[in-house]
Amino acid sequence: MDFRFDIVTDYMPFFLKGMGITIGVSLAGVLIGLILGLLIALGKMSSNKWIQLPFNIYINIFRGTPLLVQLLIIHFGIVPLFMSPSNPLVSLVIGLSLNSAAYIAEIFRAGIQSIDKGQMEAARSLGMTRVQAMKLVILPQAVKRVIPPLGNEFIVLLKESSLGSVLAAPELMYWGRAAAGEYIRVWEPYITVALIYLVLTLSLTYLMNYVERRMSTDDQR
Amino acid sequence: MISVKNLKKSFGENEVLKDISMDVDPQEVVVVIGPSGSGKSTFIRCLNMLETINGGHVVIDGKDLTDKKTNINDVRTNVGMVFQHFNLFPHKTILDNITLAPINVRGINKKEAEQKALALLAKVGLSEKASAYPDSLSGGQKQRVAIARALAMEPKVMLFDEPTSALDPEMVGEVLEVMKQLAKDGMTMIVVTHEMGFAREVGDRVIFMDNGFIVEQNEPKALFDDPQHERTKAFLSKVL
Repeated sequence: MDFRFDIVTDYMPFFLKGMGITIGVSLAGVLIGLILGLLIALGKMSSNKWIQLPFNIYINIFRGTPLLVQLLIIHFGIVPLFMSPSNPLVSLVIGLSLNSAAYIAEIFRAGIQSIDKGQMEAARSLGMTRVQAMKLVILPQAVKRVIPPLGNEFIVLLKESSLGSVLAAPELMYWGRAAAGEYIRVWEPYITVALIYLVLTLSLTYLMNYVERRMSTDDQR
Repeated sequence: MISVKNLKKSFGENEVLKDISMDVDPQEVVVVIGPSGSGKSTFIRCLNMLETINGGHVVIDGKDLTDKKTNINDVRTNVGMVFQHFNLFPHKTILDNITLAPINVRGINKKEAEQKALALLAKVGLSEKASAYPDSLSGGQKQRVAIARALAMEPKVMLFDEPTSALDPEMVGEVLEVMKQLAKDGMTMIVVTHEMGFAREVGDRVIFMDNGFIVEQNEPKALFDDPQHERTKAFLSKVL
């Protein structure tokens, strides 16, 4: 098999641009997902069954259906109601955010519920409201415990952003498919794209390990 | 100070407190004893609504906890609680553990709160631990910090839920010593404990609970030396 490096070099500017967009949409997805996820987690932990219900439904729907299907519905069904023509990047960010929010919510809930219930009792017995106790006592401890599973989720999200290529969002995978189509070659574009994804996820792994180490030494000074 | 009338509490089908009535005067030290499962921990936890109350009334400092209009957070600022398992906040230093509630709940400024916290730490003999984290403390030290943390809110009553039960035997003394001092200072206290020596020495009144009822209550000397009920006698013969 001859490997045509000229295809790789030809397309490298597009791959790099696509990589930038992949990083951008993933970052946006993670940030929005974190905020929504926390709110959904808190909603799901309400003691009122009727308040829990919508959050349960949300999590079940977004975890229980394929992201690809969600993206297609969002891009061709929902976003066109608000913008025309619908921008695939906007649809991709919305899809990734809503989808990751469901997973992140469950990660947060597990983290929060893993904190000994004596912590909440001690905080409440000192006169703190539920919200104060959450903010000052429970969440700071839970954050540390959710770092490893959150890192996992970030890596999954980064890879799943490749589904944006189906919506013609110009992220990394989109340019991989474009190169494959133009040269009718499989190995060069897809191996290159795979390597770039690998570099991204390994960097992320390294970053998360660093954060984890920092956090765990934080309160053992 | 505290008035409990016909207090009832169930966990599902299991009726833990059947009909508890008692009063506590200001500056009184009431010690609650009884076999495990008698409901004494549940009882003390009802006094600051860590357990929801199913029936009857608990009035603390003129405020009825079961009244929906009562702000439970306000009541709790006046009722300090010390737990069997300390429940210090592991992500905060000792000093921050003590100042957290005064700053965020009482709205005291940081400097003033820290000065007071240091004074309290001196009182429980742990001044040198101000910047340490709870993990580096022994059980007895943790419990003394927990007492200081509760006192920082300047409560009118202190509740102790088996404060020495999770401690190694050689650390029980240092915690009881702090509690004795507190009683001497005139704090109103309700103490659930298995430390009969403490009950006898420090208690103004001892309550014996069994099976969800208050079986008998009296001055320590009278209750320990001349129990009136068979169940009290049976219990005391096992623990004394």
